[in-house]
Amino acid sequence: MSDERSGGRGRGGKKDDKAKAGERPRGGFFRRRRVCKFCADKIDYINYKDVRLLMPFIPERGKIQPRRISGTCAKHQRALQTAISRARQLALIPYVTD
Amino acid sequence: MSQNRQYELVYIVAPETGEQEVADLHTQIEQIVQRFQGTVDKTENWGRRKLAYEIGHHKEGVYVVETLTGSGEMVKEIERRLRVADAIIRYLTVRVDEDLRVAQRRHDERKSTQARRRTARGLPPEPQPGERRGDMDEEDDRMEGVEVGR
Repeated sequence: MSDERSGGRGRGGKKDDKAKAGERPRGGFFRRRRVCKFCADKIDYINYKDVRLLMPFIPERGKIQPRRISGTCAKHQRALQTAISRARQLALIPYVTD
Repeated sequence: MSQNRQYELVYIVAPETGEQEVADLHTQIEQIVQRFQGTVDKTENWGRRKLAYEIGHHKEGVYVVETLTGSGEMVKEIERRLRVADAIIRYLTVRVDEDLRVAQRRHDERKSTQARRRTARGLPPEPQPGERRGDMDEEDDRMEGVEVGR
C-alpha cells in the first residue's frame, strides 16, 4: 500500500512517463482491472448461449473488445471469440449496432 | 464408433408458428434421431425472444435448444430437414462433447490441486462456507477510492 502512495506522487505526468518508468500503469487515466475474467471466475467453458456472460465484452458498437482493454488471457479470448461468433449467428448478440 | 458424439442444436422458429407446429418439429427431429439410433438428452424451449437483428423480416423468434447424442450422419439429416422447413428461420449445430470434456478435466484438475494444497496446509480438502478468500476486487476498489480523493 505504501509504495502505492509514493507512486501516486509521480502522477500528474503523462501516461507515457509511466510506461517509460517500466512500472505497471497503476492509477492511470483508464486504469482497468488487468485480470482475465474467466481465469478469475474459473469459468472453464464459455457458453455461447449465456448472453449475460458475453455482454461485457461487446461494447456499444457490437465489436469484440480487444484483449489489451479487457485483460482477458489469450486462451480465453480465443474461446470468447468463438462463443461470440456463435451467439451472433443465433441473433443473441448483434453483428453491428449503430 | 462415431456414434457417441454430443451435439447441441439450437433452432429459431418463426414467431407466428403455433405451439403445435413447434411441438411437431420437435417430434420430427426426435424421429430422425431415433432412426439413427441416437438419443435426445435434453430439450429446452426458451420461448419467444427478441432477435438482436432482423432475420428475413422477423423481429422475434421461438428458440429451442436440443442436446443430442449420435453420429454425424444424423446431424446431416437433421440439418437437411431444418433447411427445408419454412418455419425455421435459423439453426446452429455445435459439437460439444470434446469441449465439455476439456472443461471437465480442467475443473477436476483444479479441484485436486486445491485439495492437495489444502491438506498440505493442514486444512480440510474442501473450502468451508464461512472461509474468507483473498479478493482482488476489494483491493482494486480501495485504490480507486484513493485516486478519487486526490
